[in-house]
Amino acid sequence: MSLTLYHRHVLEDYLAGSEAKANPNHLAVIRRPAIFSVLAHRGHEASVKETLTSTDGALLRDCAPGEWLLVSTASGAAVVENLLGEIAGASLADQSDGRVLLRICGPNVRKILAKCVAVDLHPDAFSIGSSANMLCCHVTANLARSGADAFEIIVPRSFAGSVFEEVMEMGREFALTAAFAEG
Amino acid sequence: MASLITCPHCGTRPKEEFSIRGTALSRPHPTASEEDWHAYVYLRENPKGRYQEYWHHAGGCRRFLIVDRDNVTHDVFSVVDAAAIGRLSE
Repeated sequence: MSLTLYHRHVLEDYLAGSEAKANPNHLAVIRRPAIFSVLAHRGHEASVKETLTSTDGALLRDCAPGEWLLVSTASGAAVVENLLGEIAGASLADQSDGRVLLRICGPNVRKILAKCVAVDLHPDAFSIGSSANMLCCHVTANLARSGADAFEIIVPRSFAGSVFEEVMEMGREFALTAAFAEG
Repeated sequence: MASLITCPHCGTRPKEEFSIRGTALSRPHPTASEEDWHAYVYLRENPKGRYQEYWHHAGGCRRFLIVDRDNVTHDVFSVVDAAAIGRLSE
């Protein structure tokens, strides 16, 4: 018996029947991002960070001292894994199926996120490219600023539904829409 | 009003991101007497005033911190990574 397995996103049911047209405030759910968790061994933090920063097509997210998430929406997990190969002094684990990447943008994005996180997201305090772990809707998430009014949230897969619903609720007064995006 | 703790790695965060893990005691030597181990495991001062505690930044960098604070006035005097203290005494 042959079995065909389809990739099914954890937020598939949550997004069923949502509006197709994106409003200015929009939440994009990235369908298949490549997310790797990287931990530097003691004493190798600086050299590992240098190697990771110079990786093409992948963005680095800060989690903790010597711990990062490497995110790529351009290429799949297998491609990124080959690209990284073995990093001296670091251990990495594929988290692509364990994490969900949400991209929220729009003119009111800070007002929406102010109800989700307790961190100062003012443009001067949280510059483009900054990222940190923080509680987002009671769930430990990684939040990064990817553009002037754009943020990326990485949440554990099993909490994604709860975070998604709460972010949508907070964005309702600003007509936040949501849809899948390819990358 | 939320109590704000300035994590050395993440910056100023609300107390909801942390879990308090009790007094920052130094661990007795493995061959220490039973009284010492009993004191380390069970006995706590519970002072009113300045207090040093382990705080785990569960909602952020997931590092153990030592928070030096006053539990009457809520003043926080210092927050350091517990590993930094450990390495100093090595």
